[in-house]
Amino acid sequence: MAGSTTKTVFEIFQTMDYGPSNSTFSTAQSWLELQDASLGLFVEGKFAHPAGRQTRSLTDSTGRTVCSLMCAVEEDVSGSVSSAAKGLKGWSELSCHQRAQPLLRLAGALQRHSQCVSELCELSQSPCSPAALVRLAQYYAGWAQLRDTLIPDWIPRGVVAVVGSEDCSLYSLWLKILPALAVGNTVVVVPGMPTAPPSLLLAQLFGEAGLPVGVLNVITGSDVSLGAKVAQNPNMAYMTFTGNKQDAEALCRQTAGWGVPVSVSLSLDSVCPYIIFESADIDSAVDGVMETVFKKRRECQWALYVQESVLKSVVARLKLRLAGMKSIPLQSEAHRALVDTAVQEAERQGATIIQPCPPPTSGTLYPPTLLCGVAPSCQAVVCPAPGPILPLLTFRGPGEGVTLGNHSSHGHAASIWTEDLTLALETTKSLSVGSVWVNSLSVSDPSLSLSGRKNSGNCTDGGREGLYQFLRPSSSFPLPRSSPCALDYGAFGAAAAKASVPEGFDSSSIPRSYSHLVAGRSCKADSGCSRAVLSPEGAVLAHCPDGGRKDVRNAVEAAIKAQPSWMKKSPSARAQSLYSLAGLLVQKRQPLVTSIQTQTGLTLEEANQEVDLSISRLYEWAARCDKDMCGVPLLPQSGSALSISEPVGVLGVVLPDSKSLLPLVSLLGAAVAMGNAVVMVPSEKYPLPALEFIQILQSSDLPGGVVSIISGGRDQLTQALANHSVIQAVWYWGSKKGCQFLQHTCASPLKRLWLHCEGDEQKAGEGGLWSLPQPSLMEEMWRQAVVWKSVWIPTA
Amino acid sequence: MSARNPGLDLDLEWVSKVRVNTQAVLKRAQQVQGRKVAKKQWQAAWLLKAVTCIDLTTLAGDDTPSNVHRLCMKAIQPIRRDHLKSIDMHDKGITTAAVCVYPSRVADAAKALKAANSDLPVASVATGFPAGQTHLETRLDEVRLAVADGASEIDIVINRTLALTGQWEALYDEIRQFRQACGEAHMKTILAVGELANFTNVYKASLVAMMAGSDFIKTSTGKESVNATYPVAIVMVRAIRDYFLQTGHKVGFKPAGGIRTAAESVVWLTLMKEELGDEWLSPHLFRLGASSLLADIERQIYHHVTGRYPAYQEFPMA
Repeated sequence: MAGSTTKTVFEIFQTMDYGPSNSTFSTAQSWLELQDASLGLFVEGKFAHPAGRQTRSLTDSTGRTVCSLMCAVEEDVSGSVSSAAKGLKGWSELSCHQRAQPLLRLAGALQRHSQCVSELCELSQSPCSPAALVRLAQYYAGWAQLRDTLIPDWIPRGVVAVVGSEDCSLYSLWLKILPALAVGNTVVVVPGMPTAPPSLLLAQLFGEAGLPVGVLNVITGSDVSLGAKVAQNPNMAYMTFTGNKQDAEALCRQTAGWGVPVSVSLSLDSVCPYIIFESADIDSAVDGVMETVFKKRRECQWALYVQESVLKSVVARLKLRLAGMKSIPLQSEAHRALVDTAVQEAERQGATIIQPCPPPTSGTLYPPTLLCGVAPSCQAVVCPAPGPILPLLTFRGPGEGVTLGNHSSHGHAASIWTEDLTLALETTKSLSVGSVWVNSLSVSDPSLSLSGRKNSGNCTDGGREGLYQFLRPSSSFPLPRSSPCALDYGAFGAAAAKASVPEGFDSSSIPRSYSHLVAGRSCKADSGCSRAVLSPEGAVLAHCPDGGRKDVRNAVEAAIKAQPSWMKKSPSARAQSLYSLAGLLVQKRQPLVTSIQTQTGLTLEEANQEVDLSISRLYEWAARCDKDMCGVPLLPQSGSALSISEPVGVLGVVLPDSKSLLPLVSLLGAAVAMGNAVVMVPSEKYPLPALEFIQILQSSDLPGGVVSIISGGRDQLTQALANHSVIQAVWYWGSKKGCQFLQHTCASPLKRLWLHCEGDEQKAGEGGLWSLPQPSLMEEMWRQAVVWKSVWIPTA
Repeated sequence: MSARNPGLDLDLEWVSKVRVNTQAVLKRAQQVQGRKVAKKQWQAAWLLKAVTCIDLTTLAGDDTPSNVHRLCMKAIQPIRRDHLKSIDMHDKGITTAAVCVYPSRVADAAKALKAANSDLPVASVATGFPAGQTHLETRLDEVRLAVADGASEIDIVINRTLALTGQWEALYDEIRQFRQACGEAHMKTILAVGELANFTNVYKASLVAMMAGSDFIKTSTGKESVNATYPVAIVMVRAIRDYFLQTGHKVGFKPAGGIRTAAESVVWLTLMKEELGDEWLSPHLFRLGASSLLADIERQIYHHVTGRYPAYQEFPMA
């Protein structure tokens, strides 16, 4: 604002403007000067400045250089990971109390240096309030202290990589770093450019707070491929990412086959419904829009859905409030082009454009823009342009509002506005999103979990639920580390089923023909083909259907129809169905025992034992149906929060070879008890007990379509499951190649993956795991079968 | 003053649709308080704007012609002329918006102002101030007498009994009659928000008062235990905006009671600017009911001009 400091009192008296906001950055600048304005890597507990690295410079909002950042190379990656690996033993062996101390002291240090932290965040254009970081540190210090008490039997994963894209927020990055550390992992952080300086400062403060050397390392690079390099290091146990979709996909593909589980949180690109019902306090709802939606940096995108009866008053208020707003700087000229295209498209479709002033013909300033009356298919709704643009759609009644809000490939969050409690709770239930903010929005607290649905992510951050991504049951086997094999992703599992050729027969034993279970009917494969099932000795025992894409498609069709009503059944009704299934298994155990024996060559005793265990497993899942699935997180603000577990949806399960019946029943129980529908692929080698089990399923009162069992080639069926967008999660036991294929393919559309590599050396151990599961293993199954929804209802 | 609000027939359906979410209002109030005005000349300009919006008030049992006279003189020249001159504001007509007194002191004030050649309006509280618990006839007479004595603005109090029991029609009729009794004098309706139980009632009472033709709606008498708070003000100005959007009539807002510091006055202006826009930042549509606020603003202006902190005797007494 040129000349603004020379304005006279009278001029201001007439215009009544607020005047320049004088933010100073002197404290942050002094810290940067101490680093010579060139930030290094934070490795082995100190800043390192290896020579001969390229640097990138970070600029502030006015285009001035803030500092330079180093681009780490291969050597730095291995240095930082080995630093974390060295730190792991000491850190994970500390007592919980000892581990909590540095986190508590970090909270203190953040308070002491809050000026420096907030200035540096502002300067690097990754705004974050120090108070929010203090709350994070304090919250997770509590979890560090309580891990062994409240989460016994779970151990840290090891060295964890936390990767952020260029546009991710500092808060979302540290919402992953702190829980990882609190439960005993060591971490290598790969922040995006704007979050790098504050992250490096926090790492330094953490060191001063007594965090042992090597426990936290921060390395910076030129792009997100550095994250992939970190994950490829053999010491790495787990990688988690926060940021935009494009980077997430690249990262998932680059790390496929390395034996590192990867999870991603993609709130940034998610379009969240902002629903205003006629029973809302409209002025407050409009305040919410103005406060959040037109910000320069947004945590997610919004689309406004307004009940038709109050459309006029909502638009009138928005118009009035917009009139006083200034234009907002876009990030680049390229973004300007995207924004122009989006607005033009909406205009062509007949939308009314509401702006405080017409946009300048060029340049990166753009006025806040409301697009009234766009179609749900409009680009501005499906994939909003990066600018201050808000699409507005109308709906007739609450049901339609929810349907419109759910009609999206995202599922990060929703904000709903109504003074009607019943409507609020009903809407909350029906929205398929991870967070619902009632009469509020963008409330973030570490005790509220963020768990994206659909394309918004496949992991849970925050809350007690968010700790589990950094833990594993102490008796589980992590994915074995490996390097990817050459795999033609297009050709994986593409071999077509072959119709069988009559080969003559042996009249002494005519093999039986089995059917599989698709959409509640036992039937042949859609292709009509079948494959021979061999006994352990190599004789043809039977023929089973050779299922493929079409069978999976039919199963999923039926699952989509059956799952919503199955989910809506009361938990006790689901429990009764499972009890009756278990009862049927008791009655009809004999054919199963026989089938296990003939199929796998186990002794009668072993086969009996497997059936017994299966029965008790079903009883256990039936019992768990209606037991504590919800929590009430306690927030510092006044209001009520809920944390609700919900079914994932339709799951694909590829079963192990190690046991032929028990894994099927255990996993089916977990999935179905929580309200999911499953498409299960029995062991390719030993499918008969599973196919025998179909008869029991059919005589049970489980609705048709909730469980489908499709036999056939494992790779073919895995490929079919991976390529069906409805399937939200794949639980896989199988080859290394299969794991690699799934990691690569399920990056888009995103699925939740639970991968197990069946190596020969592990088989014996894995088989044992099924029969003697510790509580934590059962809990892991349960946690895989649910997603979390957090609800926040603020009160005065 | 701007065009008067003619009011309209009572629209109970509109009143019944009112919804207010308390926590969202509290949150908004915090946001408004967090909006900062720059220092130096910006502060000076905003404070002078606040001065021009003050209804300089004395409502005490011991008011006499002499202290009312002093009040009027202070209202005409609220800031020392030499200070105004140094920021080049001496010739910009900086006076308070009005003086506000009890009905029996209206004549004194009108006389004092006339003697000083000032056309500053005299406002009078009326209608059984502060409780409003007298007969309707008495309250109407009080209004007529104050107007006859020379008051050009009347601050009436509503009958809280009617509002609390939801008798909106009766309340509407009463205010309508007051409006008639006011004649040409502008009417400010005091809702006594501290006694209205909740925000929804405040919003509804605001709407009814505006439908009945109030030119201003005012928060409180200054005699209740809860006075003008920012959240309640947000509810009232939202009602003003609602009324404006529906009818096109602009109604003013007057917070009163407990406003003592310069900083508070800036927050009040911010609140108006944020919620209703710049048009409401003038005495036509915004008043601050206060008695001791002016003294603090004088001190701040003094500090802005001289860089020193003043002693009390450096300002003329009110």
